[in-house]
Amino acid sequence: MSLLRHVRRLNAVQGLQHCRREVSSAPAKSATLKYDQDPQPLFTDAETQRLLQSMTQLQLDKVFRKKTVKDNRSETKFMTNEQLEQEFLMTIEKAKHLLKMPPIVKIKQDTERPIAKDPALKDFATTKYVFTDITFGLPHSERKVVVRETDGTLAYASLDTIKRMNQLYFPLEGRKSYTPRMFAYEELLHKCLEEHKYEFVLDRLTVQYEPYETEFHNLSARVFEHLNESKQFDLLRSTRHFGPMAFFYAWHRCIDDLLYDMIRRDYLHNAVELIALTYKIHKIPVEYTETLAKLQALHPTPDESALSELRGFLRRPEEKQGIEQEIHTAIGKTEQDFAADDISLKFIEEYIASEHSLKKVQLELAVQTLKEINLEKLQLFQGLKKAHGVQAL
Amino acid sequence: MLPIARGIYNGLASITRSSRGAALHTASVFRSKAETAAASENEAEAADGEEEPKSSAPDPKDRTQVIPVETSMRYLKSAAYKKTYGEDYVWTQYRRNHKGMYAPRKTRKTCIRQGKISTGNPCPICRDEYLVLDYRNTELLEQFISPHSGDVLSYSQTGLCQKSHLRLRVAVEQARDSGLITYDVPFREYDYNEYYGQQKS
Repeated sequence: MSLLRHVRRLNAVQGLQHCRREVSSAPAKSATLKYDQDPQPLFTDAETQRLLQSMTQLQLDKVFRKKTVKDNRSETKFMTNEQLEQEFLMTIEKAKHLLKMPPIVKIKQDTERPIAKDPALKDFATTKYVFTDITFGLPHSERKVVVRETDGTLAYASLDTIKRMNQLYFPLEGRKSYTPRMFAYEELLHKCLEEHKYEFVLDRLTVQYEPYETEFHNLSARVFEHLNESKQFDLLRSTRHFGPMAFFYAWHRCIDDLLYDMIRRDYLHNAVELIALTYKIHKIPVEYTETLAKLQALHPTPDESALSELRGFLRRPEEKQGIEQEIHTAIGKTEQDFAADDISLKFIEEYIASEHSLKKVQLELAVQTLKEINLEKLQLFQGLKKAHGVQAL
Repeated sequence: MLPIARGIYNGLASITRSSRGAALHTASVFRSKAETAAASENEAEAADGEEEPKSSAPDPKDRTQVIPVETSMRYLKSAAYKKTYGEDYVWTQYRRNHKGMYAPRKTRKTCIRQGKISTGNPCPICRDEYLVLDYRNTELLEQFISPHSGDVLSYSQTGLCQKSHLRLRVAVEQARDSGLITYDVPFREYDYNEYYGQQKS
């Protein structure tokens, strides 16, 4: 408590002086790109969700990276193989929960909804009275909050008041009752973005603001725009913010940088999914479902690949691996992967040739380099197979 | 009886006040002298707080001079800092003085009284006047944050005096609020039905 008091006092006296002196007190700039329609139906669509989840990927090291929490004890247990298998499945479920995307909904407009006007109550007090229903277990959107104004009107509270009352009675961990300085001052936000603290800013944004608030839309759009310029997409990969980011780019037709990054990192199926998502959002008449289905058959879903990665730790090193497996680990690709790459490359090239791509030269170059590397790998793959005498398979 | 007593008290108070004023006055003179001396010297050299006091240098225990944060931030990157602390944190080499086997539970209230170091073993922050606790001085603040729990380390570990410890906690909180120090934000659970209506995503 005393700490809080000190912080507040310092913020009031010295902090504000600093801000005036150092930080321009201009509020955060608004972003240039906005959702012009309600993005929610397209975002919650089952196929979109599947595409976004696949693009996000599931890297267990990143999802379960060490966090600074109060209690980070680890537990050691003896388990049978069946129990371990159960535990693996649980881990994947947990990881998927941690990767759940924040909702994307349109901005909610504040409307005045008076209930009753009682002029007889005028000047009954010098302040407003706010009444809150604090029944346990109600969802926040259904909680009734009404305000009695000093002029005697009884009305439903504004969104701002509702949020404040919810925070007062049912506090959300990490949310501040004031606007954090990071979001309030342009210079501090800009500094955070320049230092590529994208995940931190977005995490804080989800905690501080509700998805339907103007600030949420503004700030997240700003972060995504900055990210599109700095091209550090890998920082957000395998976090819960990657899906909304990809959706944002697809919606505003600026996927080319992300696409380039995916091709360069050899995530070709992700690139196909991104293009398909753009086609879907803008209703461009290109047939993509067939390619996607083919790729889906050839490629494991993110949770399947993560599960096989987990099972990989179980295998004893002296255990005999099939020669096929060995070749796979040496090259990093299987026959299926090569087949999938062919299909995806065809689809991507079609996209690059069409009028929808904006950075054709760059993308073409990336595709060309990737093709050469792939060809080399394929030759090596076939050579190895021949040497081991397994080409009959 | 009472008015007389009050009169005597007032007289005494005014005397002490005036004498303190005089002391302050001399201190300020010293300070101005020190400033002119420091201006001629190289700043990085002057930044080393644990140098031997020169004959012309002011009292090394004097802490009335306010060091700006920018100087402190430069000091943390300087060769003088490296020479003094090496790769260690500023508090690693510090040991508390106490009688008996066990140190008192709490550290001392403050190391600096009336603008002067009032103890022989000031705490890691107070002993080096160029370590300024401020929210912009992230390099210094991060030395006091535990990599495991993300909390500010206890004074029983760092040996900071109570006053410095409070200032440290305030500065860390401000730095977090300003986004200068990152921390792990608690995971926000969403009730998706609340945002999407009844259909389940």
